[in-house]
Amino acid sequence: MNGPPDTSVVIGTMKLKTPVMPASGTFGYGQEYSEFIDLNRLGAIVVKTITLKPRVGSYPHRSTEVASGFLANIGLQNVGVERFIEDKLPYFEDIDAPLIVSIGGQSVEEFVKLADILNRQQRVDALELNISCPNVEKGGMHFGMDLEVTENLVKRVRNVTEKTVIVKLTPLVMDIRPFAEICQLCGADGVSLINALVGMAIDIRTRRSKLGRNITGGLAGPAIKPFSLYLVWQACKTVDIPVIGIGGISSAEDAIEFLIAGASAIEVGTWNLVNPAGMVEIIEGIEAYMAQNKIKALSDLIGTLS
Amino acid sequence: MEYPILENQRVSGNYFLLRLDVTGTAKLPMPGQFYNVRCGETRDPLLRRPFSMHRLVRGRGSAHLEILYQVTGKGTEWLSRQKSGEYLDTIGPFGNGFIIEQSPANAVLAARGIGIAPLYAVGEALHGKEGATKVFVLLGARVKERLFYEEQFRRIGEVFPYTDDGSRGFRGTAPELLVDLLERSRLPEDFSLYACGPTDMLRELSHTAERFGFAGQVALEGHMGCGFGACLSCACPLKPEMIKRNKQWQKPALQWSEDGSRVYSLICKDGPVYDIREVDWDEWAA
Repeated sequence: MNGPPDTSVVIGTMKLKTPVMPASGTFGYGQEYSEFIDLNRLGAIVVKTITLKPRVGSYPHRSTEVASGFLANIGLQNVGVERFIEDKLPYFEDIDAPLIVSIGGQSVEEFVKLADILNRQQRVDALELNISCPNVEKGGMHFGMDLEVTENLVKRVRNVTEKTVIVKLTPLVMDIRPFAEICQLCGADGVSLINALVGMAIDIRTRRSKLGRNITGGLAGPAIKPFSLYLVWQACKTVDIPVIGIGGISSAEDAIEFLIAGASAIEVGTWNLVNPAGMVEIIEGIEAYMAQNKIKALSDLIGTLS
Repeated sequence: MEYPILENQRVSGNYFLLRLDVTGTAKLPMPGQFYNVRCGETRDPLLRRPFSMHRLVRGRGSAHLEILYQVTGKGTEWLSRQKSGEYLDTIGPFGNGFIIEQSPANAVLAARGIGIAPLYAVGEALHGKEGATKVFVLLGARVKERLFYEEQFRRIGEVFPYTDDGSRGFRGTAPELLVDLLERSRLPEDFSLYACGPTDMLRELSHTAERFGFAGQVALEGHMGCGFGACLSCACPLKPEMIKRNKQWQKPALQWSEDGSRVYSLICKDGPVYDIREVDWDEWAA
């Protein structure tokens, strides 16, 4: 075979040189990883969800480990859009990888305002609409569990931005297919799934939640991978827009499974916390697999489940 | 980084001492800083485990990092089975270390259980300082069988052991012992406190510090996802009016509420060492 395999993929207006990127909320504002990883190796950078106003987030004791999983309730702690633009965005001026900004809001109006504000930022390539956070009372997964709200929200965001729009879906619905479908119908450029499940862990000595007053948390990590793979496969059969697979990916093998199931790209979440350079290993692993199997382009791998 | 294990031995009960060869590494730790260590080769246990630097032993052209740890679950259990010659996937050092005060000259170290881990290096640093630094160590555990490291601490200062049941030394807690010593004028007038142990002990010590008017630093322990400020798991509430920032403690990860009434720090970036007055103990312990 001549030359390295072509791992590039197009999502909306973005051309990703590799289908591997971080999952929002596990990658800070990017800079946190600069001592471990060359950010330009990534397909794109996805930053922590930004809201209109800063948020201090959830009560202390926000996380605990469960079998092969990470249970966490961060509550969308973030600096707010104003400080994000002032303090965090300039860092990306020297980085070539496309930038995806995850946004969250307590109302449809807040999503629209954020989309409008970020639409004017040249460095921002795409918005990922976080309508699926399991750890906030308003505007989290309850938005993403309601088809009408999802429809209205995606339509209205689409109207105010020319940026690529990706909608991040929650697994906590009876059937994920209509949600993916409505996003496509309303002009989304892609859907990403899944956001975290919901879980609990109890300290039997104190009979308190291991997440303190937060009680519940988002369940992520390798423990959820078979389930996320199933939902991604379902979504891929339903829509024609790119599907970004997320949920427990911690190796190139995991990533390749999602690509075979039909995902155009994947996001790595919890694994970044364990192995901050892990995405580079996944990128190289996908390239090696393609070379070994004489796969010239990613499109020859995506959706090839036999 | 992959560091070779030089030694990994039980020191007492379920406490182990791990010695890693960190010779040639660019960043050497300060007392109070921590490392995040991969404790397994599979996906369970999953996350790294944070361990404070216990001692840094520097020889001619060599640097050995000592970690003192307690086996409390499957991660540390795995760690305790690793042999010398094997390599450990270790990142760090992270966080703010203790500020080794220039004045007042004297120091009280208060530890309970595995809380002695970060304090030994503080004691060594103070002991090695020029001038008349006196170090007093309040060393405690539930029962005398759980008490260890007394001899080592005697090398760097005067040790006052304490146990819950009085089976060794003072009967009671570290704060109770400290009050007792202060009331009996067994400690010098000016000293600074360095403490590590359970939350209840540290909170009580903060009240003692307020009552008697001495300065103090505490090393906190919290559940971490990453250790380097990305996941925002290890949030610790601070008192907005008491925040201590200086050249050594820059606190880059503080997150304020919009109205400025609440502020959260990250233990991994803004801690794990804090001024005893700045932690919002009631909120932290709630």
